[in-house]
Amino acid sequence: MLDIEDLDVIVKEDGKKILNKLSLNIKAGEIHAIMGPNGTGKSTLSKVILGHYKYEVVGGDILFNGQSIKNLTTDERARFGIFLAMQDPITIEGLNNSEFLKTAVNEKTKEKVDLYSFIKELNELLGKLKLNQSIFHRSLNQGFSGGEKKKNEVLQLRILKPKLIILDELDSGLDVDSLKVVCENINEYLKDNTDTSVLIITHYPRILDYIKPNFVHIIKDGTIVRTGDMSLALQIEKDGYGSINNIEEAGLNA
Amino acid sequence: MHKIIVDNDSIILQNENYLDIEKNKDVTLYLFGEGKTIINVLEDCKLTVYHLGVDISNDIQINLNGKNSEVKYYYSVVNYQDNVLKIVINHNSSNTYSNVYNHGVNVLDKSLRFEVSGVVPKNILGCSCNQENRIINMSNGKSMICPNLLIDYFDVSSSHAAYIGKFSDDVLFYLMSRGISREKSYSLLIKSFLVPTDIDKEKVEDFMVNIENI
Repeated sequence: MLDIEDLDVIVKEDGKKILNKLSLNIKAGEIHAIMGPNGTGKSTLSKVILGHYKYEVVGGDILFNGQSIKNLTTDERARFGIFLAMQDPITIEGLNNSEFLKTAVNEKTKEKVDLYSFIKELNELLGKLKLNQSIFHRSLNQGFSGGEKKKNEVLQLRILKPKLIILDELDSGLDVDSLKVVCENINEYLKDNTDTSVLIITHYPRILDYIKPNFVHIIKDGTIVRTGDMSLALQIEKDGYGSINNIEEAGLNA
Repeated sequence: MHKIIVDNDSIILQNENYLDIEKNKDVTLYLFGEGKTIINVLEDCKLTVYHLGVDISNDIQINLNGKNSEVKYYYSVVNYQDNVLKIVINHNSSNTYSNVYNHGVNVLDKSLRFEVSGVVPKNILGCSCNQENRIINMSNGKSMICPNLLIDYFDVSSSHAAYIGKFSDDVLFYLMSRGISREKSYSLLIKSFLVPTDIDKEKVEDFMVNIENI
């Protein structure tokens, strides 16, 4: 599914190195979580996978289903089936939410959307996400609460049916009930699409109680310094990131 | 052209235009084309204007002559040649309200200039006078915004915002991260920028076609 090999990434503006020989392999159907303190490169990694304009890959490669994607545009990567649920989704005044969704589906399938089935599917998903129908007719994310924004990301995810889901700080801005709703929706999607993989970027293990990872990675200074299972996340919750001693020496021990 | 407006209307502007909005009316006007236009708004009128066009220059004066009169003016232009919008809102009565939204997309290397003035003279009480001007440069065109708020009394709330630049890279990244091509993303952004949300799209079909063709 996703193979990141010795990835070196710099910030285009100032040349600062932000990912350093980072390697990560995610097989079909696996759920991986990346944890780490602020400023270690977690969110950057999620953006680099989708070809964010601020960053430049200066070494290594990103393979998706065996094909290098590092020279593809963001929309091409997305149409391959990679979906990034963003930490702080963008607001676009005047862009109708349903028109945005319809356009995204059109662009992916290259076929005109069948309006009846599209609206039927949207209505079902709205119910599952506990979202008001008025969200279709509002400008994209404008005036949305934190919870509505994150639910709208999951709505897009379910409509676009990706093969790799990247969740960047999904739990930020979500109350406990809303977090449960969005995670239940993602789990339902994963149950129906067993070959879909997930990469969860998070500070806190809370979300991992709902979406159970097969692997937990700790990132430090732009590279993965330890890999383990859920017990690693629980150790961090209990003792903090400082408890991971000699992590440079430990290396990859999965 | 002299016209007394008593109901919602669509008007193609000619060289000189005088429009009087009747008292106590809530009116929505769709204006197309260019020219010199004076709009007089009488007491207790609520006027909404959607003024759209491609390669248009306009010289507009809106006189809020009656108490409690209001105007919302949405000006949207697609620019290929050299064009100018001059718009003056005169708050000639107390408790008058203006909100002006001028949006332009400057497609090529030509100039687009917005000169926008809100005027509140002495002893005119309780007014609100606001303007927002934005121009998106698609190439290396020369765009200029001159916002003026000529407020000569203390009892007024007033604001302005001005932006000249391109669409945000973060916004573009978001749209493209959903699989939408760069070209289609621009098309969506231009449409959302130039077509006000409450507009009756059937009345501006020609303009929508022009947007698709940018």
